[in-house]
Amino acid sequence: MSPYVITILLSSLGLGTALTFMSSHWLLAWMGLEINTLAILPLMAQHHHPRAVEATTKYFLAQAAAAATILFASTINAWATGEWNIYCLTHPIATTLITMALALKVGLAPVHFWMPPVMQGLDLPTGLIMATWQKLAPFALIIQMAPTAHPQLLTTLGLLSVFIGGWGGLNQTQLRKILAYSSIAHLGWMIVIAQFKPQLTILTLVIYIIMTSATFLTFKLMTATKINTLAMSWSKAPIITTMAALTLLSLGGLPPLTGFMPKWLILQELATQGLPLTATIMALSALLSLYFYLRLWYAMTLTISPNTNNSLAPWRLQNTQNTTLLTIFMIATLLLLPLTPLAQALI
Amino acid sequence: MLYFLDLLLLSLVVGLVGVASNPAPYFAALGLAVAAGVGCGALVGHGGSLVGLMLFLIYLGGMLVVFAYSAALAAEPFPETWGVGSVKAYVLMYLLGVGVAVWWFWGGYGDHWVVVDEFKEFFVVRGDVSGVSLMYSVGGGMLVVCAWVLLLCLFVVLELTRGLSRGALRAV
Amino acid sequence: MLKILIPTIMLFPTIWFSSPKWLWTTTTLQSLIIALISLNWIKWSSETGWTSSNLYMGTDPLSTPLLVLTCWLLPLMILASQNHIKTEPITRQRNYITLLASLQTFLIMAFGATEIIMFYVMFEATLIPTLIIITRWGNQAERLSAGTYFLFYTLAGSLPLLVALLLLHQNTGTLSMLIIQYSQPLILNSWGDKIWWAACLVAFLVKMPLYGVHLWLPKAHVEAPVAGSMVLAAILLKLGGYGMMRMMVVLDPLSKNMVYPIIVLALWGVIMTGSICLRQTDLKSLIAYSSVSHMGLVAGGILIQTPWGFTGALVLMIAHGLVSSALFCLANTTYERTHSRTMILARGLQIIFPLAATWWFVSNLANLALPPLPNLMGELVIITAMFNWSPWTLALTGAGTLITAAYSLYLFLMTQRGPLPQHIINLQPFHTREHLLMTLHLLPVILLMTKPEIMWGWWY
Repeated sequence: MSPYVITILLSSLGLGTALTFMSSHWLLAWMGLEINTLAILPLMAQHHHPRAVEATTKYFLAQAAAAATILFASTINAWATGEWNIYCLTHPIATTLITMALALKVGLAPVHFWMPPVMQGLDLPTGLIMATWQKLAPFALIIQMAPTAHPQLLTTLGLLSVFIGGWGGLNQTQLRKILAYSSIAHLGWMIVIAQFKPQLTILTLVIYIIMTSATFLTFKLMTATKINTLAMSWSKAPIITTMAALTLLSLGGLPPLTGFMPKWLILQELATQGLPLTATIMALSALLSLYFYLRLWYAMTLTISPNTNNSLAPWRLQNTQNTTLLTIFMIATLLLLPLTPLAQALI
Repeated sequence: MLYFLDLLLLSLVVGLVGVASNPAPYFAALGLAVAAGVGCGALVGHGGSLVGLMLFLIYLGGMLVVFAYSAALAAEPFPETWGVGSVKAYVLMYLLGVGVAVWWFWGGYGDHWVVVDEFKEFFVVRGDVSGVSLMYSVGGGMLVVCAWVLLLCLFVVLELTRGLSRGALRAV
Repeated sequence: MLKILIPTIMLFPTIWFSSPKWLWTTTTLQSLIIALISLNWIKWSSETGWTSSNLYMGTDPLSTPLLVLTCWLLPLMILASQNHIKTEPITRQRNYITLLASLQTFLIMAFGATEIIMFYVMFEATLIPTLIIITRWGNQAERLSAGTYFLFYTLAGSLPLLVALLLLHQNTGTLSMLIIQYSQPLILNSWGDKIWWAACLVAFLVKMPLYGVHLWLPKAHVEAPVAGSMVLAAILLKLGGYGMMRMMVVLDPLSKNMVYPIIVLALWGVIMTGSICLRQTDLKSLIAYSSVSHMGLVAGGILIQTPWGFTGALVLMIAHGLVSSALFCLANTTYERTHSRTMILARGLQIIFPLAATWWFVSNLANLALPPLPNLMGELVIITAMFNWSPWTLALTGAGTLITAAYSLYLFLMTQRGPLPQHIINLQPFHTREHLLMTLHLLPVILLMTKPEIMWGWWY
């Protein structure tokens, strides 16, 4: 792809998200979302592989449907209340419609079905954009409208997502699908707290982005898309393999790694709000996700064979990829938990 | 006038059913055009003549593109029309659904039709015209963004379909 | 606290920067020095219950013995693993010792924490190094399922605990162990409160483990390398007992009625797991089940909530920590020579390893609570306290003691006595290292009975 096209697309990607961030008007927010969707489509299909094209099509359909629903619902709201402002979303039908549309946009259960196949069709860098950057704009809207949204709807979306995110990843062998389900589960944590403490949603999103970036970049370094390929990773980059195992546990949310911080704070907030049952269900559903992270870990680190595998060439070649970004993300993934008081002071 | 409006709205439903019943892209595009056209007609019928006209022009432009691409990229030797079995089943299903909905809501919503600019005798300018002028005066930035969206759309479509042998949508 | 914690953290540079030749020597030496300095905690000069070195860390008579035990065990673990890790590449050796040292760091912070939530975080943090030790350095393919069992049993118990702790914090406004016992007693009436009560304890009961949720333990023990078994039996199980003692303070009004089923299960577990031991063919599995049996007694002692019960539990935890670790080391010496855990394949070892047979003998006697060893003191105090609570418990605790004696005898007879099988030829003689290891295990056991009040907790 020519650099000019890449520049236009990436800057539009940024423009769309920025527009949604700064808009107080539903129409502009919708436009930002649309720019976002449009700009990533060529990036998704850049390899012209049938799976990539299929993924692009699915993504386009899901996102276009969601955006149309948002437009429709905000029009209904404007029709009923005379207000286009995002904070003034008060009409119940419009609120519910927009909640579901945004859920479809980020891929929350039960409207998550597009997400695993779409992720599966993409290469890892684009998948990374899909799992991180593309969540920002919808979440900016979710945070703004969460106070007026139906509380039980948000809780149901959250619980279902955590549960389905864990359940769906159990029998996957494809890393990108596993990461998609992991994304669904994390989004569930974010949405369930959005109505009580939106700052926590942002914190969770930021930490999820850090953790999942570390994971994606690791897999990219290993050129791994299947669990089988991961078994070879120790011969390509032994130290990163060791660290990646901990990164996976951080995604699973085990203390003393960073991933525990958002879960802890969310559970605390839920307990403060008097929702211990929700908190317990969330916490125990996270075990489902932990199981497939653990499986990846087994394949990657814990079952390595004592002798060097000589059937494939990669371990003999010096790796020339730049790992600066990976290093930063990985350190942040592993060591941020002691900064919890800082995070709490900030939010 | 009322009967004419009813006819337009009926055609809108028919057009939508025509798209929703999943025929070959040609026919779906025709259904879209019908739906769009009569939708604009319904708008005009309610008094929004300028909006209706603008929408119709935009639709015509957009549908031309859609037609062109669907004809170019999805040409099939034996397209499925509305008469083919599976499509026909969908058509019947949707018509049945529309019928049920009509039966359910019959008489309920008749009173709520609002005609745009009902009291136009009291105003100097028409509402839709003033809306347009408002958009050009304070919504300038918005207009630029809109233009950028359209341009980006073109880019994206070109990028997706670029190349003869590796046109993305053909690779499927 | 930092006098111990910082040298423990400084073990990491020692491990990674010392030359391969001196790796094992320097790490053993440094950890042994740490252990010796940690004995300083025992010298108790505080007038109040706690000695706090800073806002978050402190020691009191309950945590001190466990802290010292933790520090004591690291050099022993390094000594015990030396032989079977030495053949691996140097980086993996360093990795292994790093895991052991990080485990000690987490454990010190767990036992030293004055915030319950900090204790919780560290309690969970010990899972990761232990899991790696079991699953990466275990021997059989079953180690994967053992690791999964270990992780998920513990987490399924401890995640409700986290929610319960946060609720407690919500109600009392504090989770500090220093002051939580002085806060207003909770009013606990509803069904939800009963579930909360159970959630507060179930994590520790799983960790202990209570009979019924103990299935992860024999698997983990059997599959783990020797250091993993040692730390698991000696310290990680005690995390459960320690956490329970800390939590019982706030659970008060409900505990009186709620503990019945758990005590019954614990005491029944003493009998059941003891009986399972009598039928074991697997050496490590037998020792693991014997741990479950002893821990059942500890759980019973803690749950009746009398000073005697707590003291007995603490004494038994310390004594059992040393003795079960010693037994695992002995099992490992056999395993390293015969490469089998099956008892019937390695009988009559007394003939060829007479001094080792002495170690076996002493360890077994300690395990079956021979007077005057501290194991006896712990069991006796618990049995007395239980008898006072309800005389009928004597049937279970008494039978449990008898069965313990029986399987200890069985263990000794199977491994040490009898004729030497024909296939056992050309076994490596015992190293001085192994004798040192056993001495360092059993000497404290014997010395502790001369001054047991250092592990009595609040009793004196």
